[in-house]
Amino acid sequence: MSRREPRRRETALAFDRAAVRLGGRTIWSDLSLSVAHGQFVAILGPNGAGKSTLIKAVLGLVPVVRGSITVLGRAPRAARREVAYVPQADTLDAEFPVSALQVVLMGRYPRVGWVRRPGRADRAAARDALDAVGLAGQAGARFGTLSGGQRQRVLLARAIAQEPRLLLLDEPTNGVDAVSQQLLLLALQRLRADGAAVVVATHDLGLAHLACDDVCLLNHHQVGFGPVDETLTPELLRAAYGGQAIELGGQGVIVARP
Amino acid sequence: MSWLAGTFSDDFARRALVEAVLAGGLCGVVGVHVLLRRLPFLTVALAHANFPGAVLAALLGLNLLLGAGLFGVLVVLVVVGLGTRDRVEETSAVGMVLAGAFALGVLLLSAQAGFTKDLSAFLVGSILTVQRSDLVATAVTGTLVLGVLAALHKELVLGAFDRGGLAALGYPVAGLDLALVLCLQLTLVSALPAVGAMLAVALVVAPAATARLWTDRLGTTMVLAPCLGIAAAVAGLAVSQHVRAAAGATIVLVAAALFGLSLLLAPRHGLVSKLRRSRPPAGREAVSGDAPERGTAPAAR
Amino acid sequence: MSELVLEPFRLPYMQRALAEVLLLGVLTGVAGVFVVLRRLAFMSDALTHTVFPGLVVAHLAGRSLALGALAFGVLTAVLFTLLAANRRVGSDAGMAIVLTALFSVGVVLVSRQHSYTSDLTLFLFGRVLTVDRADLVTTLVLAVLVLAVLAVLGKELVLRAFDPEGSTAMGYRGVVLDLVLNLLIALVVVAAVKAVGTVLVVAMLVVPAASARLLADRLAGMTILSCAFGVLGGWGGLLASYQLSVRGGLRLAAGATIVVVLVACFLAALAVAALRGRDGAQAAAP
Repeated sequence: MSRREPRRRETALAFDRAAVRLGGRTIWSDLSLSVAHGQFVAILGPNGAGKSTLIKAVLGLVPVVRGSITVLGRAPRAARREVAYVPQADTLDAEFPVSALQVVLMGRYPRVGWVRRPGRADRAAARDALDAVGLAGQAGARFGTLSGGQRQRVLLARAIAQEPRLLLLDEPTNGVDAVSQQLLLLALQRLRADGAAVVVATHDLGLAHLACDDVCLLNHHQVGFGPVDETLTPELLRAAYGGQAIELGGQGVIVARP
Repeated sequence: MSWLAGTFSDDFARRALVEAVLAGGLCGVVGVHVLLRRLPFLTVALAHANFPGAVLAALLGLNLLLGAGLFGVLVVLVVVGLGTRDRVEETSAVGMVLAGAFALGVLLLSAQAGFTKDLSAFLVGSILTVQRSDLVATAVTGTLVLGVLAALHKELVLGAFDRGGLAALGYPVAGLDLALVLCLQLTLVSALPAVGAMLAVALVVAPAATARLWTDRLGTTMVLAPCLGIAAAVAGLAVSQHVRAAAGATIVLVAAALFGLSLLLAPRHGLVSKLRRSRPPAGREAVSGDAPERGTAPAAR
Repeated sequence: MSELVLEPFRLPYMQRALAEVLLLGVLTGVAGVFVVLRRLAFMSDALTHTVFPGLVVAHLAGRSLALGALAFGVLTAVLFTLLAANRRVGSDAGMAIVLTALFSVGVVLVSRQHSYTSDLTLFLFGRVLTVDRADLVTTLVLAVLVLAVLAVLGKELVLRAFDPEGSTAMGYRGVVLDLVLNLLIALVVVAAVKAVGTVLVVAMLVVPAASARLLADRLAGMTILSCAFGVLGGWGGLLASYQLSVRGGLRLAAGATIVVVLVACFLAALAVAALRGRDGAQAAAP
């Protein structure tokens, strides 16, 4: 896997007072945050807060109506080849006739380019990626026969195979078994150590605590952004969640930190 | 107006007019439900499947409506049955049944002499040869269907909007679905004399789609759609008389033209007004990214 | 027994018909895989209707039918791709209206001719037994073109079928890929129209691929099976319709008989899949 020196000074992702509209509504506005290379940032907030929309905005799938979003120093759509996206596995057709390895190979297509087929190096990279998520033995299995957690790991492997500089994940731990969650996290840590920036949209507070450097609290507007310890405070959490019950490690709990 | 009166001066033209009004109105109302539940493809398939049913009925000497109707019910059951299989998704199932049923009809018909002559009446209608008995049949069917739709209106609308919610309230969701599809089937069959199997879809879908472009309120849509259906049917009939073209096809073209015009000109949902409203925003991203996936399949995912 | 099978194909017109359906079987077999995976059965059906006025116009103008069909096919493929963007009415409703409207144009044009009903039949149901060398060449050219493009763009089209959002996220423009596929399907429809007519092309696109899907776990297998079913249907249908007509005195349209054989294959595949149960014993290890 190619290694780039983590350019800590250059940001991988920057929002500057950005606002987006979707279906005639402003989803969120005045959002400012930055993610450096090698950083792991969580976008936290209750359901419907606009987390998925944020991910889509980074991918250039949602128009920015004010301010700007800069991805790897460029406009979102220009940066797509170096940005990898991991959707939730249950959005995909479980009956599709593809194997796990074939799914991971799809991540190589931007590199392989048009017309040509993936070569030996690509297949090796795909197998490495499957190995990184602990599924080396399942390369030949049909995607749909794997468990939910395994499928999510395959999708992460696909993103790894893309050798991205920025990785976006949408609720990666949703409905995923504990073992898969651990393996997912391990793989993400490794990616980050190699210099990629990781952004996770999630409502899982435990994930943010465990793995992230910075956190952005979102509820249609920016409630807070900064290092985990400074941002996951009772006041800010209450402002973001409005005192609702919040997921914590799979159980519903009202957050109150000492 | 006198031009209109002059057009419908003889008996068969007058009967055709009545049939046009009945069919147009009925199809318009049913069409609203078809759109709410995203059933245009199923409608196309059912309409095609009526063809072998009608052929069978004619061969066996049965009443056309009865034969086609019963056969259509069979088709619905097959589609539903196939769709529950894991690896046969709904769109392909409908496509297969559509083509298979039509091939069956062709086979039956080709085994007879006089192949080509009977075909066109089945397929594209022959409104100028409707008899009083056809009119009575259409009127009776129409009353029945409209009655059922009126009685079940609020349940059908809820089911279209939120299937899970309807089930949670304890309603028989599958039964209501079936009732609607049966109403659709009866409507298509009763429109056969007017516009035939292949074109009945247009009379069901186009007026309702046109109405949806002009209003956001369901109540208004349910009134506007049949009005547009009747208007299209009558206008199409009149034009076809003057131009000496196939009546069923002309009716469809008028309905489609109404839709096309509305697509362009409707105040909020038309193309012209949308273009006028979307000026590139001040930010760097001037154009919206690829729209979220809109396959051509019914929203079954 | 072998006499029964071989006898019809000694006749030159049957040989041409056989060549045509075998070629079409392979073409629709491959294209059909994409139609089924991308849920494009409705659009394929719509294309067969919109191609019809093209046939009529070409016929009336005395020009090549394939050309007329091609013009309308391409135009509507573009139109349908664009229609998919209007969320208010839904792409299905738009396609239903466009397909019946264009079909009506064809009907109106045909109805003003004296040969009304027989022309309608020809366009709708084809006459595979009157395929000539020029038709074969047209089909061959179109088949080579479509299969070449599918081979070249295959991996991107499969990605788009499997994960549309992911493919966009990777930088592929969804609208362009969709347009290419829709155009290819339009070409397949044009190729098949003279043989089996507009109405039955859908069967050849959907049924073999749907049957293959029931039995195959991988794309490669599915494609091969789909072609096999397509070829089997073509050959079996021709054979059946000939023998039934010569020996049984039943005049059955060849195109329709092909579809019946294809549906029979589907039902057989359904039975096999049901007997095998779901997916066999692939236990997922954590």
